[in-house]
Amino acid sequence: MELLFLKAALVVYLISSLGYMCSLYVRRVLAAKVSTWVLFAAFILHTVFFALRYWKTGQPPVISLHETLSFFAWAMAGIYLAFQLKTKTRVLGAFVSPPTFLLMIVASPGLGGHVSLPGVLQSNLVPVHVILAVTGEALFALASCAGAMYLIQESMIKNKRTSGFIRIFPSLTDLDRINHICLMWGFPLLTLGILVGSIWARTAWGSLWQWDPKQVWTLTAWFAYALLLHQRLAIGWKGRKAALFSLAAFVILLVSLFFINIFFVTAHTFI
Amino acid sequence: MNLILIGMNHKTAPLEIRESLSLACGDSINPLIEIMNIPQIKEAIYLSTCNRVEVLAHAVDEESAVEKLKSFIFNHGNLSPDDMARCLYLYYNHDAVRHLFRVASSIDSMVMGEPQILGQVKDAYRTAVEHNASGIMLNKIIHHAFRTAKRVRTETGIASNAISVSFAAVELAKKIFGNLQGKTVLLIGAGEMSELAAKHLLNYGVEKIFITNRTYARAVQMADNFHGTAVDFEKLQEKIHDVDMIISSTGAPGYVIDVSMITASLRRRKNRLLFLIDIAVPRDIDPAVGEIDNVYLYNIDNLQEIVDGNLQIRKKEAEKAEAIIDEEVTNYREWYNTLEVVPTIVSLREKMEGIIRGELAKSGAWMENLTEEERKNIEGLANSIINKILHDPITGLKEESRENGALPYIAAIRRLFGLD
Repeated sequence: MELLFLKAALVVYLISSLGYMCSLYVRRVLAAKVSTWVLFAAFILHTVFFALRYWKTGQPPVISLHETLSFFAWAMAGIYLAFQLKTKTRVLGAFVSPPTFLLMIVASPGLGGHVSLPGVLQSNLVPVHVILAVTGEALFALASCAGAMYLIQESMIKNKRTSGFIRIFPSLTDLDRINHICLMWGFPLLTLGILVGSIWARTAWGSLWQWDPKQVWTLTAWFAYALLLHQRLAIGWKGRKAALFSLAAFVILLVSLFFINIFFVTAHTFI
Repeated sequence: MNLILIGMNHKTAPLEIRESLSLACGDSINPLIEIMNIPQIKEAIYLSTCNRVEVLAHAVDEESAVEKLKSFIFNHGNLSPDDMARCLYLYYNHDAVRHLFRVASSIDSMVMGEPQILGQVKDAYRTAVEHNASGIMLNKIIHHAFRTAKRVRTETGIASNAISVSFAAVELAKKIFGNLQGKTVLLIGAGEMSELAAKHLLNYGVEKIFITNRTYARAVQMADNFHGTAVDFEKLQEKIHDVDMIISSTGAPGYVIDVSMITASLRRRKNRLLFLIDIAVPRDIDPAVGEIDNVYLYNIDNLQEIVDGNLQIRKKEAEKAEAIIDEEVTNYREWYNTLEVVPTIVSLREKMEGIIRGELAKSGAWMENLTEEERKNIEGLANSIINKILHDPITGLKEESRENGALPYIAAIRRLFGLD
């Protein structure tokens, strides 16, 4: 039953991504507006999937790798849609919706099956750790979407090429503000996520910190974001440099999120 | 359909002629009343703007109506017959409809895509309605024209993008800052274009304008115009620390703003974005300033390039608009053509119903023996046979009228069923 909603969400995510692409191609905001509503529909379907899954299994569906990816996608779409309530940056969706769809493609084959948890994961702290950390990471993902858009538009304006698709981009100031707000919220969430993870690690593995490759990379990314936040708040970094730096920090985070589990031996691999 | 459109626009008539005609019509007489006094004209709309004077009329006798309209224009415009031949255009029926659609969609305007014309057409229509000059025919056409104009506006980019240098500057500012509310601008030197840009910026919510000039008195004088603040030229550097935009147009031979002045202010600006517009020739701002992070510099040529590009876009969009107009003219034609077959369909039905009534009356004698219900059934049967027989010809007639014009079919049906 819940898989039906998942499949529907997947299809609707695809439609919204295509819609956004189309809006860039025809340079009309209208297409992006429609796509935003389509994305909202996908988000609702996805939410129903989560609710049904939670109800069926009795635990938040965020534990396995696939579930985490699906939650990542859900958080990204949700945060982007929340931004639309305040600042109408429709076309930003062209940078948000496709990655969301791709995440869902990767995540969906492993969703819905029976997940048997090893004893070590049967703690209430685990879902809290995942939800906090992944929401923080989704905010960083959105920050880098806005950052990427900022950099593209910035270089076009600098080089006096303003007639292309950047015509329908949100203004530099709006993109910079989204980048900033995402950092401001993402950083404390990731911090809390890491702390909760450590507390759990103490009960499960006996110590707060293991120098596991995944932990090290995440901590590196955390330091990068801490530095960026400091530069933004204390030094007054804005615009290009901040956008560039947030992209770089996100690359480190991506390594920790995806590549570590494939190329390194890590204790942070469960199911 | 007996439609006439007669008029002149900026392409066909020089300003003096348009002027004298629209002046004559504006002051002393009410042109609509005079036009409606022409007996051959049943409905009329009179449109007069600075770029065109047009009359759209629904007439009974086209030829004599046109003659009367021409003499109306001749009387009021003081035109020689030569001028008349040169300046006037005359469209009939579907061509008149198409012309009206093009005018309302701003394709026929001097500045293609300008938004005023639709409002002017609406005003002209309102006047016509007030004078009872617009009836079934023109009402339908005008509303169709409004719909076409709306489609052109929303489905093409004909009205988007700046086509003047000062508006291009405003659009860039919006691209950089988003909302211009609370932003501040510094004008250096005077000049028509920089004042125009400043006026546009104020319209878009810019909070404060500072003005500086080598002659302080001139700055004060300009500041009065914009409710701005005059700034001593010596304090230029200090203002660079504060403002979001600078528009420079001095007559100075060298650079008024160089790289060091901007870099000196970067720290105090806390990297806030700075948008510089250099309208002066020779240039006021060192081009190297544009290389600095978070600083954007556009000169007059850059802005002109944007405008040229936008004009190209408008031309391309105009092609799309023409396609929409074609489509809408076809829609209108189809609607009108179905109108043509309506009387034939009505008389065909009347004829058939007459036959049924006649036959029932003839059979009255033997039908008396039947019960009420049986009589009803027989009437129902006759009606449904007629409906079945008529269904295909009527559908066919409507289809033909939409596609090709149904005159031959109308004629055939009238002849075969003896409807005339």
